[in-house]
Amino acid sequence: MSIRPSFRFAGVIVSLVVVAAFWLIWRSTAPPANPTARATPVRGGQLTAGIRSDPKSFNSLVAADEPSVIVSSLLQARLVRINRATFELEPWLADTWEMTPDGRKYTLHLRPNVTWSDGAPLTSADVLFTFRAVRDKRVESALADSLVVAGQPIEATAPDDHTVVVTFPAASGPGLRLLDTLPILPKHKLEGALSNGTFRTAWQTTTAPADVVGAGPFVLKSYETGQRVVLSRNERYWRKAADGTKLPFIDQLILEIVPEQTAGMLRLESGNLDMLQSELRPDDVPSALNAEKKGHLKVIELGVGTDADAFWFCLKPEARKNDRRFAFVQRREFRQALSYAVDREEFARVVFFDAAVPIWGPVTPGNKTWFTPNLKRYGPDLDKARAVLRDIGLEDRNGNGVVEAADGTEARFTVMTQKGIAAYERGTTLLKERAAMIGVALNIAPLEAGAMIERLKTSDYEAIYMRPLMTDLDPAGNMDMWLSSGGAHFWNLEQTTPATDWEKRIDDIMMRQAATVDLARRRELFNEAQEILAENLPVLYFAAPRLYYAHSTRVTGVVPSVLRPPVLWNADSLGVTAPPRAN
Amino acid sequence: MVRFLARRLFFCAVLVVMTASSALLLTRVAPGDLTLSLGPFATAREIAAERSRFALDRPIAVQWGEWAGSAMRFDFGESSLYRVPVGPLVFQAAAHTAVLAIGALLVATVAGVGLGIVTGSQRGALPGLIRMASIGAISLPSLLTSLVLLFIAARTGWFPTGGISSVDASNHWTDLAGHLPLPILALALPVAATFERLQSAALAEQLHQPFVMAAAARGVSKRRLVLRHAWPVSVKAITAVYGLAAGSLLSGSFAVEIVTAWPGLGRLTYDALYARDIYLVAGCVAVGAAVLSAGMLLGDVLLALSDPRVPDVR
Repeated sequence: MSIRPSFRFAGVIVSLVVVAAFWLIWRSTAPPANPTARATPVRGGQLTAGIRSDPKSFNSLVAADEPSVIVSSLLQARLVRINRATFELEPWLADTWEMTPDGRKYTLHLRPNVTWSDGAPLTSADVLFTFRAVRDKRVESALADSLVVAGQPIEATAPDDHTVVVTFPAASGPGLRLLDTLPILPKHKLEGALSNGTFRTAWQTTTAPADVVGAGPFVLKSYETGQRVVLSRNERYWRKAADGTKLPFIDQLILEIVPEQTAGMLRLESGNLDMLQSELRPDDVPSALNAEKKGHLKVIELGVGTDADAFWFCLKPEARKNDRRFAFVQRREFRQALSYAVDREEFARVVFFDAAVPIWGPVTPGNKTWFTPNLKRYGPDLDKARAVLRDIGLEDRNGNGVVEAADGTEARFTVMTQKGIAAYERGTTLLKERAAMIGVALNIAPLEAGAMIERLKTSDYEAIYMRPLMTDLDPAGNMDMWLSSGGAHFWNLEQTTPATDWEKRIDDIMMRQAATVDLARRRELFNEAQEILAENLPVLYFAAPRLYYAHSTRVTGVVPSVLRPPVLWNADSLGVTAPPRAN
Repeated sequence: MVRFLARRLFFCAVLVVMTASSALLLTRVAPGDLTLSLGPFATAREIAAERSRFALDRPIAVQWGEWAGSAMRFDFGESSLYRVPVGPLVFQAAAHTAVLAIGALLVATVAGVGLGIVTGSQRGALPGLIRMASIGAISLPSLLTSLVLLFIAARTGWFPTGGISSVDASNHWTDLAGHLPLPILALALPVAATFERLQSAALAEQLHQPFVMAAAARGVSKRRLVLRHAWPVSVKAITAVYGLAAGSLLSGSFAVEIVTAWPGLGRLTYDALYARDIYLVAGCVAVGAAVLSAGMLLGDVLLALSDPRVPDVR
């Protein structure tokens, strides 16, 4: 039965239309950015950046998540700043300072005539208020631990309105660099909240934008949950460009919340976003380069990243006391054999598509100040790896391809990794193949991030492959990783006394370098700690990725950094040269 | 009918309470908790403070009891992710999802039923093509559909590539309308395809029934036979699943909402689950269950209206 027999050729026509439509879509490209655009920033315009999630708070003393920290860095200013491109300390709200010979006391002089975005003068009272807020137990500030040296808090006093004296309880290697994370907050807006114990809930995301006052380049204009944070120029911002132009260049900065990274890339390529807040995934680099050829994007190599994927076994004796495999996992020779088995060049090629460099320790060449190329290097040498295993009594006695100890305990382990991260999947697959070549069987178990972190915290795992992020480039900022008592000493968390001699030696060396002011001496000490770690290999590192970043060609003034945020750290100097593309 | 409605409403209320409580309890006992957002190496002091703030340091029954008591007063607790009360967050997201769901349901109904009538009553190339397209749309996961549509939007610039609104839009409603096509199409395509397949099969079956044959023998036109005689009877196949489809659309699709950056209930639920935001999970599930129940109720009522023989309603 048919109601419309005249549809005889409709199928053919519709097919042709569909094919033509796909061809048009494929051929279609959004217009490139204005090719005549000037390369130097001009005042005005709007820049749109993508962030992955909502900020938790506009008060970064209490919220340490990445979006909150980014927003805070745009709204607030610090006394001093670490330049993310050069890693050097530079003046910010404090324009000069002096240090006493013992390195314990710094006298900082605040810039004159700096005001908050509401017009109130910024004085040393605001700095003292911020120190007080960080130390207040009711605030439970995420920054409290970072402003502690030798177990004691850093103190601040103010002889006058424009001078602050910062006193360290002991000599500190990083010195004023510790203050890079501390945003100075307005006493006149938040003192009441600190006094009545509500500081922790002050400046939540529901706060009226006009109440959020800062000395940063932007002020809060609006926030819509799940959609965007809109920031506009702080007309009272104190910085000027080299030519005397008042900063920031742009009128408005929009942080669009784009939770999915593939969608973010598509929006970046279409001109809907000017930049993202993360480096390109290795898988995204080819399409970004293609977009660059069309004039839509500018792709830049940030350099070698400062974080690398790591592999380690759980070395906590209490957690594995009934596990006979622990006897050989605990031996450094076993871990060295695995390190000999891995071809790091192949690792860089397969896991990171050649965009990586081999490494033998946690500090990568991206960390120019603290990297040492002189660590012990392993392999690739499968024969050596097998010989090392034989020397500690591990041989394939039953011919099943897996080495075992004399009591029959096989070297068979489950490696947890985070599900859904392509680079982790490639890394664990390659590691499994190389380990199998020397008779060590690794079963890979991808887990959801939350479950994996829970297992890590409770030491309920055999081995893990993931990228533990360094919190600071300066080793003194990562003491929780290096010290055996540290909460980020991930192979054996929070030891009451060092479990091994070599961990005790590292503890001593790291404490000494953290209390040393002379940089050259600090480097010597830290190299020694790195060498001990490379010899004992509680953690295996294979390759550090080269990082690539893409932004719209209409953005100017970009000074990329391997640290996050790669570009917005310098937001007051960013400009745009053309309106966004049509779509 | 009144007794039927009362019974179903009671069932809906029980469903909402049970699912929200289960969500709360399951989130509590699942590996990891909301302190995971502090990172793997947070200090014990930070973890303890956060657990205390969200009552995770109390026995599970006590926590549930306190939450249930507050929920009775429409206080669903505080979100650890957003640091604001759960209620307004969830209701705002549900409103955003409702806009999307209603649009998608309209598109799916018109397209699905219309195309189902064509494929159920005709043979030839066009119905064949529609059938193939429907099977394709049903088979594609919504994540992929969303990404394909986003790719088209990015390549062509025909419509915005995400979000619910533009900054500084001059007219809120036209701006909203401009942002709707991408997520609505992504949501509506598989539902429309399902409706098309159901409608097509049901109509084809009815066209072979004796009452249709008799009408044809009386000289009734083919168009009238399909639209006035066979279709009203066949539409029952759609109404049977309509409520379920409406309910699932209204409770949010996290894949579509995440890819298109739509701040709806699906995305909020996903974010809450990922962050183990216990009270937000419970709030999202409660609202999701409520709209799913309402959708099923709507479907039952529609079914009753389209077929008086449905015994349950009497």
